[in-house]
Amino acid sequence: MAAVSQESPDRNRVLTDLLHACAQGRQTAFQALYREVSPQLFAVLVRILKRKDLAEEALQDALLSVWRNAGSYAAEKGAPMTWMVSICRYRALDMLRRERREVSLDMEREDIDEDGQEVSEGEMVTDTVSVSKAEERKLDECMGRLNDGQRRSIRLAYVDGCTHEEIAAKVGSPVGTVKSWVRRGLESLKRCLEAA
Amino acid sequence: MKYSDPRLQNLLAGEYVLGVLHGAARRRFERLLMESRTLAAEVTAWEGRFASWALRLKPVAPPDYLEWRLMGRVRNESRGRSVTTRNLFWRTWAVAATVVLAIVVVSQRLTPPAQVKAAEFALMSDAKGTPLWLISVHPEANRVDMKVVTPNPPPAGKSYELWMIPDGGKPVPMGLMNETGQASETVSSELLARLAGAKALAISEEPQGGSPTGQPTGPVLWVAPLVTT
Repeated sequence: MAAVSQESPDRNRVLTDLLHACAQGRQTAFQALYREVSPQLFAVLVRILKRKDLAEEALQDALLSVWRNAGSYAAEKGAPMTWMVSICRYRALDMLRRERREVSLDMEREDIDEDGQEVSEGEMVTDTVSVSKAEERKLDECMGRLNDGQRRSIRLAYVDGCTHEEIAAKVGSPVGTVKSWVRRGLESLKRCLEAA
Repeated sequence: MKYSDPRLQNLLAGEYVLGVLHGAARRRFERLLMESRTLAAEVTAWEGRFASWALRLKPVAPPDYLEWRLMGRVRNESRGRSVTTRNLFWRTWAVAATVVLAIVVVSQRLTPPAQVKAAEFALMSDAKGTPLWLISVHPEANRVDMKVVTPNPPPAGKSYELWMIPDGGKPVPMGLMNETGQASETVSSELLARLAGAKALAISEEPQGGSPTGQPTGPVLWVAPLVTT
Protein backbone atom coordinates (compact mmCIF):
# COMPACT_ATOMS: atom_id res chain seq x y z
CA MET A 1 0.00 0.00 0.00
CA ALA A 2 2.61 2.47 1.11
CA ALA A 3 4.96 1.00 -1.46
CA VAL A 4 2.78 1.84 -4.44
CA SER A 5 2.63 5.51 -3.59
CA GLN A 6 6.45 5.60 -3.42
CA GLU A 7 6.53 6.49 -7.05
CA SER A 8 4.66 8.73 -9.41
CA PRO A 9 1.56 7.07 -10.86
CA ASP A 10 2.64 7.87 -14.44
CA ARG A 11 6.01 6.21 -14.17
CA ASN A 12 4.52 3.24 -12.35
CA ARG A 13 2.04 2.80 -15.17
CA VAL A 14 4.75 2.89 -17.83
CA LEU A 15 6.90 0.36 -15.95
CA THR A 16 3.93 -1.90 -15.29
CA ASP A 17 3.00 -1.80 -19.00
CA LEU A 18 6.54 -2.77 -19.91
CA LEU A 19 6.60 -5.62 -17.38
CA HIS A 20 3.28 -6.84 -18.71
CA ALA A 21 4.64 -6.84 -22.26
CA CYS A 22 7.76 -8.69 -21.06
CA ALA A 23 5.52 -11.34 -19.52
CA GLN A 24 4.11 -11.86 -23.01
CA GLY A 25 7.61 -12.41 -24.35
CA ARG A 26 8.05 -9.08 -26.12
CA GLN A 27 11.77 -8.46 -26.29
CA THR A 28 11.51 -4.86 -27.50
CA ALA A 29 9.59 -4.10 -24.30
CA PHE A 30 12.39 -5.63 -22.29
CA GLN A 31 14.93 -3.52 -24.14
CA ALA A 32 12.89 -0.39 -23.39
CA LEU A 33 12.57 -1.45 -19.75
CA TYR A 34 16.33 -2.00 -19.58
CA ARG A 35 17.02 1.49 -20.88
CA GLU A 36 14.53 2.96 -18.46
CA VAL A 37 15.66 1.31 -15.25
CA SER A 38 19.26 0.11 -15.65
CA PRO A 39 21.13 3.32 -14.63
CA GLN A 40 19.28 3.49 -11.29
CA LEU A 41 19.63 -0.23 -10.62
CA PHE A 42 23.30 -0.16 -11.61
CA ALA A 43 23.88 2.68 -9.12
CA VAL A 44 22.37 0.52 -6.35
CA LEU A 45 24.58 -2.43 -7.32
CA VAL A 46 27.81 -0.45 -7.69
CA ARG A 47 27.15 1.06 -4.28
CA ILE A 48 26.75 -2.34 -2.59
CA LEU A 49 29.32 -4.35 -4.53
CA LYS A 50 31.94 -1.55 -4.88
CA ARG A 51 33.25 -3.18 -8.05
CA LYS A 52 31.98 -2.47 -11.55
CA ASP A 53 32.61 -5.99 -12.84
CA LEU A 54 30.61 -7.58 -10.03
CA ALA A 55 27.89 -4.97 -10.45
CA GLU A 56 27.67 -5.81 -14.17
CA GLU A 57 27.30 -9.50 -13.39
CA ALA A 58 24.64 -8.77 -10.78
CA LEU A 59 22.71 -6.45 -13.10
CA GLN A 60 22.68 -9.04 -15.83
CA ASP A 61 21.51 -11.81 -13.49
CA ALA A 62 18.89 -9.62 -11.83
CA LEU A 63 17.42 -8.31 -15.07
CA LEU A 64 17.35 -11.77 -16.61
CA SER A 65 15.36 -12.76 -13.55
CA VAL A 66 13.04 -9.77 -14.10
CA TRP A 67 12.50 -10.96 -17.68
CA ARG A 68 11.78 -14.54 -16.59
CA ASN A 69 9.51 -13.52 -13.72
CA ALA A 70 7.80 -10.46 -15.18
CA GLY A 71 4.57 -12.44 -15.21
CA SER A 72 4.65 -12.88 -11.45
CA TYR A 73 4.84 -9.14 -10.78
CA ALA A 74 1.72 -7.80 -9.07
CA ALA A 75 0.87 -4.61 -7.19
CA GLU A 76 1.03 -6.50 -3.88
CA LYS A 77 4.77 -6.89 -4.45
CA GLY A 78 5.26 -3.15 -4.28
CA ALA A 79 5.81 -0.47 -6.92
CA PRO A 80 7.53 -1.86 -10.04
CA MET A 81 10.77 -0.02 -9.35
CA THR A 82 10.76 -1.15 -5.71
CA TRP A 83 10.28 -4.73 -6.89
CA MET A 84 13.21 -4.48 -9.31
CA VAL A 85 15.45 -2.72 -6.77
CA SER A 86 14.77 -5.58 -4.34
CA ILE A 87 15.65 -8.25 -6.90
CA CYS A 88 18.93 -6.43 -7.53
CA ARG A 89 19.74 -5.91 -3.86
CA TYR A 90 19.14 -9.56 -2.93
CA ARG A 91 21.27 -10.69 -5.85
CA ALA A 92 24.07 -8.35 -4.73
CA LEU A 93 23.79 -9.51 -1.11
CA ASP A 94 24.04 -13.13 -2.26
CA MET A 95 27.19 -12.29 -4.20
CA LEU A 96 28.70 -10.51 -1.20
CA ARG A 97 28.00 -13.50 1.03
CA ARG A 98 29.59 -15.83 -1.49
CA GLU A 99 32.59 -13.53 -1.75
CA ARG A 100 32.92 -13.25 2.04
CA ARG A 101 33.01 -17.02 2.32
CA GLU A 102 35.81 -17.20 -0.22
CA VAL A 103 37.96 -14.41 1.14
CA SER A 104 37.25 -13.36 4.70
CA LEU A 105 36.98 -9.63 4.25
CA ASP A 106 40.26 -9.03 2.48
CA MET A 107 42.23 -5.81 2.44
CA GLU A 108 41.08 -4.94 -1.05
CA ARG A 109 37.51 -4.54 0.00
CA GLU A 110 38.51 -2.54 3.05
CA ASP A 111 40.41 -0.15 0.79
CA ILE A 112 37.56 0.34 -1.58
CA ASP A 113 35.23 0.87 1.34
CA GLU A 114 37.15 4.03 2.16
CA ASP A 115 35.37 5.97 -0.54
CA GLY A 116 32.12 4.16 0.08
CA GLN A 117 31.10 6.22 3.08
CA GLU A 118 27.52 6.84 4.03
CA VAL A 119 25.45 8.43 1.32
CA SER A 120 26.38 12.08 1.38
CA GLU A 121 24.04 14.76 0.15
CA GLY A 122 26.31 15.39 -2.85
CA GLU A 123 25.66 11.93 -4.22
CA MET A 124 21.94 12.16 -3.86
CA VAL A 125 19.76 13.43 -6.60
CA THR A 126 16.21 14.37 -5.94
CA ASP A 127 14.27 12.25 -8.34
CA THR A 128 11.03 14.12 -8.58
CA VAL A 129 9.81 11.77 -11.27
CA SER A 130 9.82 8.54 -9.35
CA VAL A 131 9.75 9.29 -5.64
CA SER A 132 6.79 10.80 -3.95
CA LYS A 133 7.98 13.78 -1.94
CA ALA A 134 5.68 13.02 0.94
CA GLU A 135 6.96 9.44 1.37
CA GLU A 136 10.52 10.60 1.13
CA ARG A 137 10.04 13.38 3.69
CA LYS A 138 8.31 10.99 6.04
CA LEU A 139 11.22 8.54 5.93
CA ASP A 140 13.73 11.35 6.47
CA GLU A 141 11.67 12.71 9.34
CA CYS A 142 11.35 9.33 11.05
CA MET A 143 15.03 8.56 10.51
CA GLY A 144 15.75 11.91 12.14
CA ARG A 145 14.11 10.70 15.33
CA LEU A 146 16.51 7.77 15.70
CA ASN A 147 19.76 8.14 17.56
CA ASP A 148 22.94 8.52 15.55
CA GLY A 149 24.04 4.89 15.95
CA GLN A 150 20.65 3.50 14.91
CA ARG A 151 20.48 5.82 11.93
CA ARG A 152 23.98 5.04 10.64
CA SER A 153 23.60 1.30 11.19
CA ILE A 154 20.36 1.06 9.24
CA ARG A 155 21.66 3.16 6.38
CA LEU A 156 24.95 1.26 6.13
CA ALA A 157 23.03 -2.02 6.03
CA TYR A 158 20.52 -0.93 3.39
CA VAL A 159 22.57 1.32 1.14
CA ASP A 160 25.99 -0.36 1.41
CA GLY A 161 24.96 -3.94 2.18
CA CYS A 162 27.13 -3.99 5.33
CA THR A 163 26.91 -6.81 7.87
CA HIS A 164 26.62 -6.17 11.62
CA GLU A 165 30.37 -6.79 11.87
CA GLU A 166 31.22 -4.35 9.09
CA ILE A 167 29.02 -1.67 10.62
CA ALA A 168 30.66 -2.25 13.99
CA ALA A 169 34.09 -1.76 12.43
CA LYS A 170 33.01 1.41 10.66
CA VAL A 171 31.36 3.12 13.59
CA GLY A 172 33.77 1.73 16.19
CA SER A 173 31.20 0.06 18.43
CA PRO A 174 30.76 -3.55 19.59
CA VAL A 175 28.79 -5.90 17.33
CA GLY A 176 26.19 -6.46 20.07
CA THR A 177 25.51 -2.74 20.26
CA VAL A 178 25.08 -2.53 16.51
CA LYS A 179 22.62 -5.44 16.54
CA SER A 180 20.44 -3.76 19.11
CA TRP A 181 20.69 -0.39 17.28
CA VAL A 182 19.35 -2.07 14.16
CA ARG A 183 16.49 -3.76 16.04
CA ARG A 184 15.46 -0.76 18.08
CA GLY A 185 15.89 1.48 15.05
CA LEU A 186 13.61 -0.73 12.93
CA GLU A 187 10.96 -0.80 15.66
CA SER A 188 10.94 2.97 16.14
CA LEU A 189 10.98 3.51 12.41
CA LYS A 190 7.97 1.31 11.86
CA ARG A 191 6.02 2.99 14.65
CA CYS A 192 6.86 6.44 13.31
CA LEU A 193 6.10 5.60 9.65
CA GLU A 194 2.79 4.00 10.48
CA ALA A 195 1.63 6.91 12.62
CA ALA A 196 -0.30 9.10 10.19
CA MET B 1 11.93 -18.54 18.61
CA LYS B 2 8.22 -17.92 18.30
CA TYR B 3 7.78 -16.90 14.70
CA SER B 4 4.09 -16.31 15.30
CA ASP B 5 4.85 -13.25 17.42
CA PRO B 6 3.89 -10.29 15.17
CA ARG B 7 6.55 -8.06 16.70
CA LEU B 8 9.26 -10.61 16.02
CA GLN B 9 7.93 -11.23 12.51
CA ASN B 10 8.16 -7.57 11.73
CA LEU B 11 11.65 -7.29 13.12
CA LEU B 12 12.90 -10.30 11.17
CA ALA B 13 11.30 -8.94 8.00
CA GLY B 14 13.12 -5.63 8.51
CA GLU B 15 16.44 -7.38 9.15
CA TYR B 16 15.90 -9.59 6.12
CA VAL B 17 15.33 -6.57 3.87
CA LEU B 18 18.35 -4.73 5.29
CA GLY B 19 20.42 -7.85 4.60
CA VAL B 20 21.70 -8.35 8.15
CA LEU B 21 19.98 -11.71 8.59
CA HIS B 22 22.61 -14.30 7.73
CA GLY B 23 23.26 -17.99 7.23
CA ALA B 24 20.82 -20.40 8.83
CA ALA B 25 18.61 -17.60 10.15
CA ARG B 26 18.20 -16.19 6.67
CA ARG B 27 17.43 -19.58 5.16
CA ARG B 28 14.88 -20.30 7.89
CA PHE B 29 13.26 -16.96 7.27
CA GLU B 30 13.11 -17.56 3.50
CA ARG B 31 11.42 -20.88 4.16
CA LEU B 32 8.79 -19.19 6.35
CA LEU B 33 8.34 -16.51 3.71
CA MET B 34 7.15 -19.17 1.28
CA GLU B 35 4.19 -20.10 3.39
CA SER B 36 3.21 -16.90 5.17
CA ARG B 37 1.40 -14.13 3.36
CA THR B 38 1.65 -11.97 6.45
CA LEU B 39 5.40 -12.28 6.48
CA ALA B 40 5.61 -11.63 2.73
CA ALA B 41 3.55 -8.49 3.22
CA GLU B 42 5.88 -7.34 6.01
CA VAL B 43 8.86 -7.81 3.70
CA THR B 44 7.20 -5.87 0.89
CA ALA B 45 6.33 -3.08 3.31
CA TRP B 46 9.95 -2.74 4.45
CA GLU B 47 11.19 -2.85 0.85
CA GLY B 48 8.84 0.00 0.05
CA ARG B 49 9.85 2.02 3.10
CA PHE B 50 13.55 1.99 2.20
CA ALA B 51 13.21 2.13 -1.60
CA SER B 52 13.50 5.90 -1.73
CA TRP B 53 17.13 5.62 -0.57
CA ALA B 54 17.93 3.39 -3.53
CA LEU B 55 16.06 5.68 -5.89
CA ARG B 56 17.90 8.75 -4.61
CA LEU B 57 21.32 7.38 -5.52
CA LYS B 58 22.81 9.16 -8.50
CA PRO B 59 22.19 6.96 -11.58
CA VAL B 60 25.24 5.24 -13.09
CA ALA B 61 25.02 4.24 -16.76
CA PRO B 62 26.11 0.61 -17.25
CA PRO B 63 28.44 -0.04 -20.22
CA ASP B 64 26.66 -0.46 -23.57
CA TYR B 65 27.86 -4.01 -24.12
CA LEU B 66 25.78 -5.11 -21.14
CA GLU B 67 22.58 -4.27 -22.98
CA TRP B 68 23.75 -6.26 -25.97
CA ARG B 69 24.81 -9.22 -23.93
CA LEU B 70 21.54 -9.24 -22.03
CA MET B 71 19.41 -8.91 -25.17
CA GLY B 72 21.39 -11.75 -26.72
CA ARG B 73 20.59 -13.98 -23.74
CA VAL B 74 16.94 -13.01 -23.74
CA ARG B 75 16.74 -13.73 -27.43
CA ASN B 76 18.36 -17.13 -27.02
CA GLU B 77 16.09 -18.04 -24.14
CA SER B 78 12.98 -17.10 -26.06
CA ARG B 79 13.92 -19.03 -29.15
CA GLY B 80 15.02 -22.24 -27.55
CA ARG B 81 12.94 -22.63 -24.43
CA SER B 82 13.26 -26.39 -24.78
CA VAL B 83 17.04 -26.24 -25.09
CA THR B 84 18.84 -25.63 -21.83
CA THR B 85 21.39 -22.83 -21.74
CA ARG B 86 24.19 -25.23 -21.01
CA ASN B 87 23.32 -27.43 -23.95
CA LEU B 88 22.97 -24.43 -26.17
CA PHE B 89 26.32 -23.09 -25.06
CA TRP B 90 28.17 -26.27 -25.80
CA ARG B 91 26.34 -26.92 -29.04
CA THR B 92 27.10 -23.42 -30.29
CA TRP B 93 30.70 -23.81 -29.32
CA ALA B 94 30.98 -27.21 -30.88
CA VAL B 95 29.75 -25.82 -34.18
CA ALA B 96 31.91 -22.72 -33.84
CA ALA B 97 35.00 -24.76 -33.12
CA THR B 98 34.37 -27.01 -36.10
CA VAL B 99 33.86 -24.13 -38.49
CA VAL B 100 36.86 -22.21 -37.17
CA LEU B 101 39.03 -25.31 -37.44
CA ALA B 102 37.84 -25.89 -41.01
CA ILE B 103 38.70 -22.32 -41.94
CA VAL B 104 42.11 -22.51 -40.34
CA VAL B 105 42.85 -25.72 -42.20
CA VAL B 106 41.65 -24.27 -45.51
CA SER B 107 43.47 -20.97 -45.09
CA GLN B 108 46.67 -22.77 -44.14
CA ARG B 109 46.46 -24.79 -47.30
CA LEU B 110 45.84 -21.76 -49.46
CA THR B 111 48.47 -19.47 -48.00
CA PRO B 112 51.97 -20.09 -46.68
CA PRO B 113 51.86 -20.21 -42.85
CA ALA B 114 54.12 -17.19 -42.53
CA GLN B 115 51.43 -14.93 -43.98
CA VAL B 116 48.65 -16.10 -41.69
CA LYS B 117 48.13 -13.40 -39.11
CA ALA B 118 45.88 -13.56 -36.08
CA ALA B 119 42.37 -13.38 -37.46
CA GLU B 120 39.27 -13.14 -35.37
CA PHE B 121 36.02 -14.95 -35.92
CA ALA B 122 32.47 -14.63 -34.72
CA LEU B 123 29.86 -17.23 -35.48
CA MET B 124 26.25 -16.12 -35.42
CA SER B 125 23.96 -19.07 -34.70
CA ASP B 126 20.31 -19.50 -33.92
CA ALA B 127 19.09 -21.04 -30.70
CA LYS B 128 19.26 -24.57 -32.12
CA GLY B 129 22.93 -24.09 -32.83
CA THR B 130 22.49 -23.77 -36.59
CA PRO B 131 25.26 -21.47 -37.81
CA LEU B 132 23.90 -18.55 -39.86
CA TRP B 133 26.90 -16.35 -40.59
CA LEU B 134 30.58 -16.68 -40.05
CA ILE B 135 32.21 -13.30 -39.69
CA SER B 136 35.96 -13.04 -39.87
CA VAL B 137 38.19 -10.05 -39.30
CA HIS B 138 41.42 -9.91 -41.29
CA PRO B 139 43.61 -7.17 -39.89
CA GLU B 140 46.38 -7.75 -42.43
CA ALA B 141 43.99 -6.99 -45.28
CA ASN B 142 41.86 -4.29 -43.63
CA ARG B 143 38.91 -6.52 -44.35
CA VAL B 144 35.92 -8.06 -42.64
CA ASP B 145 34.32 -11.06 -44.39
CA MET B 146 30.75 -12.15 -43.86
CA LYS B 147 29.99 -15.61 -45.08
CA VAL B 148 26.45 -16.97 -45.18
CA VAL B 149 26.49 -20.48 -43.71
CA THR B 150 22.74 -21.00 -43.63
CA PRO B 151 20.66 -18.48 -45.62
CA ASN B 152 18.46 -16.43 -43.33
CA PRO B 153 17.03 -13.41 -45.20
CA PRO B 154 15.50 -10.52 -43.22
CA PRO B 155 11.73 -9.87 -43.34
CA ALA B 156 10.44 -7.72 -46.23
CA GLY B 157 11.40 -4.07 -45.84
CA LYS B 158 14.12 -4.86 -43.29
CA SER B 159 17.87 -5.25 -43.31
CA TYR B 160 20.22 -6.96 -40.88
CA GLU B 161 23.04 -4.70 -39.75
CA LEU B 162 26.33 -5.73 -38.19
CA TRP B 163 27.72 -3.91 -35.16
CA MET B 164 30.92 -4.06 -33.23
CA ILE B 165 30.48 -3.90 -29.47
CA PRO B 166 33.58 -2.16 -28.12
CA ASP B 167 34.80 -2.67 -24.59
CA GLY B 168 33.07 0.48 -23.39
CA GLY B 169 31.44 3.04 -25.65
CA LYS B 170 28.66 2.79 -28.15
CA PRO B 171 28.15 0.11 -30.82
CA VAL B 172 29.96 0.88 -34.09
CA PRO B 173 28.15 0.15 -37.39
CA MET B 174 30.00 -2.37 -39.57
CA GLY B 175 27.70 -2.58 -42.58
CA LEU B 176 24.69 -4.59 -43.72
CA MET B 177 24.67 -8.36 -43.70
CA ASN B 178 24.61 -10.11 -47.04
CA GLU B 179 21.82 -12.58 -47.74
CA THR B 180 23.80 -15.07 -49.78
CA GLY B 181 27.35 -16.14 -50.48
CA GLN B 182 30.23 -14.16 -49.11
CA ALA B 183 30.70 -10.41 -48.83
CA SER B 184 33.64 -8.33 -47.74
CA GLU B 185 33.77 -4.92 -46.15
CA THR B 186 36.92 -2.83 -46.22
CA VAL B 187 37.53 -1.29 -42.83
CA SER B 188 39.84 1.49 -41.75
CA SER B 189 42.90 0.85 -39.61
CA GLU B 190 41.31 2.94 -36.88
CA LEU B 191 38.26 0.68 -36.84
CA LEU B 192 40.50 -2.39 -36.85
CA ALA B 193 42.34 -1.08 -33.82
CA ARG B 194 39.03 -0.74 -32.00
CA LEU B 195 38.00 -4.21 -33.15
CA ALA B 196 41.10 -5.61 -31.50
CA GLY B 197 39.66 -4.59 -28.13
CA ALA B 198 36.07 -5.44 -28.99
CA LYS B 199 34.14 -7.91 -26.91
CA ALA B 200 31.62 -9.09 -29.43
CA LEU B 201 29.79 -8.55 -32.68
CA ALA B 202 26.04 -8.20 -32.89
CA ILE B 203 23.37 -8.10 -35.58
CA SER B 204 20.22 -6.03 -35.27
CA GLU B 205 17.13 -5.76 -37.40
CA GLU B 206 16.89 -2.33 -39.04
CA PRO B 207 14.79 -0.57 -41.66
CA GLN B 208 15.85 -1.48 -45.21
CA GLY B 209 19.21 0.11 -45.94
CA GLY B 210 20.33 0.18 -42.33
CA SER B 211 19.89 2.20 -39.18
CA PRO B 212 18.95 5.82 -39.91
CA THR B 213 20.61 7.04 -36.73
CA GLY B 214 24.00 5.34 -36.74
CA GLN B 215 22.95 3.44 -33.64
CA PRO B 216 20.85 0.29 -33.49
CA THR B 217 17.14 1.07 -33.60
CA GLY B 218 15.61 -2.40 -33.90
CA PRO B 219 15.88 -5.57 -31.79
CA VAL B 220 19.26 -7.20 -31.38
CA LEU B 221 18.87 -10.63 -32.92
CA TRP B 222 22.29 -12.22 -32.58
CA VAL B 223 25.34 -11.57 -30.46
CA ALA B 224 28.56 -13.57 -30.66
CA PRO B 225 31.95 -13.20 -28.99
CA LEU B 226 35.03 -12.61 -31.12
CA VAL B 227 37.34 -15.60 -31.04
CA THR B 228 40.98 -15.40 -31.99
CA THR B 229 42.46 -18.44 -33.69
